[in-house]
Amino acid sequence: MDDWQRFLIAMDKSETSRRAVRYVGHMARGLAEKHICLLHVYPEPPPDFYTRGGRLDRYQMVKDERAGIFLQDASIILEEMGISGRDISQQISMAEGRTISQAVLDIRKEGGFGTVVTGKRGVSKAEEFLFGSISNALARHARDFTAWIVG
Amino acid sequence: MIDLNPFPLRILPRLKDHPALRSLRRQPRIWRDTSDFTSIDYGDIILVDNRWFLVVGYMREGRFGIDEQPKQWVPKVSDLETGESNILKLVFHETYSIKFGDLKVTCYRNPEKEARVLELVRGNPAFMQGYSVLDDADNLVRILDVVQGNRMDKYLQRLGEGHEEYFRDHLVGVLQRFLLSVQAIAYLHSHGLKHGDIRRDHIFVDWDSGHFSWIDFDYDFYLPERPYAMDLFGLGNCLLYIVGRRNFRFQDVLEDPELGEKIASSLRVEDMSLLARDRVFNLQKIYPYIPDRLNAILMHFSAGTSVIYDTVDEFHDELADCIASL
Repeated sequence: MDDWQRFLIAMDKSETSRRAVRYVGHMARGLAEKHICLLHVYPEPPPDFYTRGGRLDRYQMVKDERAGIFLQDASIILEEMGISGRDISQQISMAEGRTISQAVLDIRKEGGFGTVVTGKRGVSKAEEFLFGSISNALARHARDFTAWIVG
Repeated sequence: MIDLNPFPLRILPRLKDHPALRSLRRQPRIWRDTSDFTSIDYGDIILVDNRWFLVVGYMREGRFGIDEQPKQWVPKVSDLETGESNILKLVFHETYSIKFGDLKVTCYRNPEKEARVLELVRGNPAFMQGYSVLDDADNLVRILDVVQGNRMDKYLQRLGEGHEEYFRDHLVGVLQRFLLSVQAIAYLHSHGLKHGDIRRDHIFVDWDSGHFSWIDFDYDFYLPERPYAMDLFGLGNCLLYIVGRRNFRFQDVLEDPELGEKIASSLRVEDMSLLARDRVFNLQKIYPYIPDRLNAILMHFSAGTSVIYDTVDEFHDELADCIASL
């Protein structure tokens, strides 16, 4: 079991993600030893991306820039809650050849994060069937770590 | 009179005698670049991979209930050297959306993906065979063998008189063959590839051996978190058709004299498809002799399910156990 005080928050720009950030802020601020990584994983470009003349470096630059903004906002939320900037890190990654949830799980393992946190959108069964649910996938694969799903 | 000088000697015997050219009032054009496929006509020749393919027709396809349209990017051809019949698939990039109520899935034609599938499944009888080459303009042309068989949905119609006889005498054999088709899709997924357009008319039944072969792999979807969801959905629909030997919409049940209002009024939202809400998945309400275990697999694709299949492997394993119990 990895160190539970190492938190990995898998997030996007949604309000539920911000709720997850605030929740972790409440839970972690009293801990002497802690680390919170704010993570955004985005998908590979669609199948017709290259035939339409797309360039991967530009795609990644746009995605990185957009994610950088809401990850920075999340850092500010945590710092305003009393978490030191030294205990916060940010990571942006593209899910290359894998699903977003698989990428999150891989990053969790590589970083030894004992607690993975994500917001729950509340999707229908049909949406879950077609588009999946990161929170459900994390809950299903939660072995050797703890998953917090914030609704 | 056709000028035969531009053509190599080895194709002349078939070229001169072919009915497609005997009736032609113009010189056949030779296409080494297939970019402008809409201009390629009956009686023209597509020259790729040093093979001279005479265009003798076009494949047709329609979504169910829609008239079949010729697909100009899929000409039927005759190899003028060997006399072999083939199907060519030319590059046609198309994007459209499939709607499931409020949900929308974007669909793409992806020639590169089809080429990769053909490469992976070479020699595997569960799949249509063929290979890919580049034409002079670097278009990825797929050269396909003609599948010697019949569409599965049409094939099923000839098995047994009524549904009960079909169910009793034929269903297990059909399911056993379908299970191999499911396994074949799981094999694609294990290599990071999807079929992309799983439908009951995209399984062909070999005229001689009766084995099932998948055809048409050029569709692709953008579902980053559930890349194989549309394949799973297609497999569920195929199973539904195999078990029921037809599809039932609410209106079909209502209008069927053997089913009528009594059965129709028993149908709930939970009995219908998870994604296409007018399609009945709870076939046990229509055919009460369908075993619970088989119906339970169908119900995983219904609006009432609490558990969805995550992978084709899960679907395969449950179906295999179920078939063994029938």
